[in-house]
Amino acid sequence: MSRGTAIYGARRLLLVLGTAFIVSSVTFLAIHALPGTAFTCEKNPAGCAHQNAVYGLNDPLFIQYRTFLWNLIHGDLGYSYINQGTQVVPLLLREAGASLLLGLFAIVVTIVVGLIIGVTAAVRQNTWLDYALSSFVVFGYSIPSFVLATFIIILTGIALPNWAGSIGWGAPEQIPIPAIALGLPYAAVVARLVRASMLDVIRQDYVRTAWAKGLSSRVIIVRHALRNALIPVITIGGPLVTAIITGSVVIETIFGIPGLGKEFVVSITTRDYGIVVGLYTFYAVLVGLANLGVDLLYPVLDPRIRYA
Amino acid sequence: MPAILEVKGLKTQFLVRGGVVRAVDGIDLRVNRGETVGIVGESGSGKSMTALSILRLVPEPGKIVEGSITFDGRDVLAMNRDELRKFRGNDVSMIFQDPMSSLNPVLKVGYQIEEAMKSHDRFSAEESKSRVPMLLRRVRIPDADRRAKEFPHQFSGGMRQRAMIAMGLSNEPDVLIADEPTTALDVTVQAQILQQLRDLNRELGTAIVLITHNMAVVANICTWVVVMYAGRVVEQGPTAEIFRSPQHPYTWSLLRSIPRIDEKLGGKLLTISGLPPDLTNLPPGCKFHPRCRFTVDRCFTEEPDLFNVGPQHESRCWVQMDNVPDPDSDLREAPVVPLEEDAGALVIAGEESAAAV
Repeated sequence: MSRGTAIYGARRLLLVLGTAFIVSSVTFLAIHALPGTAFTCEKNPAGCAHQNAVYGLNDPLFIQYRTFLWNLIHGDLGYSYINQGTQVVPLLLREAGASLLLGLFAIVVTIVVGLIIGVTAAVRQNTWLDYALSSFVVFGYSIPSFVLATFIIILTGIALPNWAGSIGWGAPEQIPIPAIALGLPYAAVVARLVRASMLDVIRQDYVRTAWAKGLSSRVIIVRHALRNALIPVITIGGPLVTAIITGSVVIETIFGIPGLGKEFVVSITTRDYGIVVGLYTFYAVLVGLANLGVDLLYPVLDPRIRYA
Repeated sequence: MPAILEVKGLKTQFLVRGGVVRAVDGIDLRVNRGETVGIVGESGSGKSMTALSILRLVPEPGKIVEGSITFDGRDVLAMNRDELRKFRGNDVSMIFQDPMSSLNPVLKVGYQIEEAMKSHDRFSAEESKSRVPMLLRRVRIPDADRRAKEFPHQFSGGMRQRAMIAMGLSNEPDVLIADEPTTALDVTVQAQILQQLRDLNRELGTAIVLITHNMAVVANICTWVVVMYAGRVVEQGPTAEIFRSPQHPYTWSLLRSIPRIDEKLGGKLLTISGLPPDLTNLPPGCKFHPRCRFTVDRCFTEEPDLFNVGPQHESRCWVQMDNVPDPDSDLREAPVVPLEEDAGALVIAGEESAAAV
């Protein structure tokens, strides 16, 4: 990494921190602006008042915000209202761990499957193989994920009836199936982009030069064509990685995975303020880091790009 | 002298919606060891397609439909994938028109040259690596060791074309095909590149097939000239002979459409009227007759063969141009059959068709 790249990276990291601060504040104010609270006061007015007092929810918003900021810079987001006695940060970290583990495997599925399908379809353009793969791709991203996940569970259940891997969470063999269910739709997106980009690149003059040099088709496709074809494709890497890691509510629910996905819905409906703020701040940091990662990847793939 | 590369009756066609594009329509070509052959013609005359056909690099949906290509006794059209891979860049290599886009932007220049050698058996992996600076020095790239580690975007246009030449010659091929190697470069760089090609031909004995639309380039380095029109050879012979006494009206017109420094001022430059023929719908008879100023009746119905018009000189024309005026005479007196010059015929004096061809 050049000096310019390092400085650029450091500046971007500061920007991510700034963004995280702004996102947390906006989320804090927005969720407090929503009507209703975590505690229903109709059935148990005394308990409710007590709870509100404990969590400082009766204080003016300005005071609550000041406390929130003070705690935030100490890396503390208080307690979850719904999971009583549980601190928000450890809870989110635990759930993020599951999502991260699943997400990383799903990313591998996305990249490997997306690249293989995209490159093969481009190299065999307008053959039956291309049409078959392209149809598969359309199928892949148009089918709802709960249908796809259920389908995969049933298939593996029939093929391997005594295998614990087809559903559930906790054991290593339970990672691949949900990772495939989560990664395949994104693989379809990647495959489409890779195919289009490859079709453009394999008509370039330098690819013709590579053929004229007498290189093998494998070398030409991987070293000369794919490397150039990936430059536009990695642009979607940021949003893609974020989307996969934060998981899908559907996949986590179907497979019973204790990940972050469900919190995006549950924490808002239950007004679990700390979780909401922590979750969206985490999301913002993840988007920032993923995009930074992509931007740092550009100069690695394309020597013409330099950060001065 | 034995021919190292021989093309016979080559036809390369593109099946498109509007019909069949006859890009190359029965070409015979013979390249001897160490010779420099120039293929001249305007855009669409099939010269680049001939070159791509030799390496079997014709882009889709083009197909070689007829003819034979023989390299050193081996049938190129019968080669399988692996034989073809070993043939390309090793026996015959090719450099292209636009050096800006012909090198891979993401790989180091030295590496791209090295990999050309590594993919063939002539040099070991270590030799391939160590030969790179030497090859770059041979094409006069200064500071070759450092330059080898740079990327194409750090090279100027002329240097990229030199790097392409270094790459093309890295495996010491018997034939180097250069497809308009100087068209994208400015004039001073053009001269340097041509000089280098000529030097390398002398030093290494590599035969060069130079494709160009520039007569001056041909005169500069080629010993043999092939003039193409509408996918066929219309005239060929030794360079001196062609320039001294062009026998086909097309060649004749081309040579007279070049401004000469020793010409008297105020004269009119000859132009070739009309446009190159539509390759999906070629005219009957001689393909050049719609633009020819020397037509006889036969030209409209019957296509001539390549006739011997000199010891090594062939021309595809019914008219014998033995008594064409010598090049120094006033060219306005030249036409045998007057052309309706004032009839508002489309006259193209553009770079492609006339002046620069």
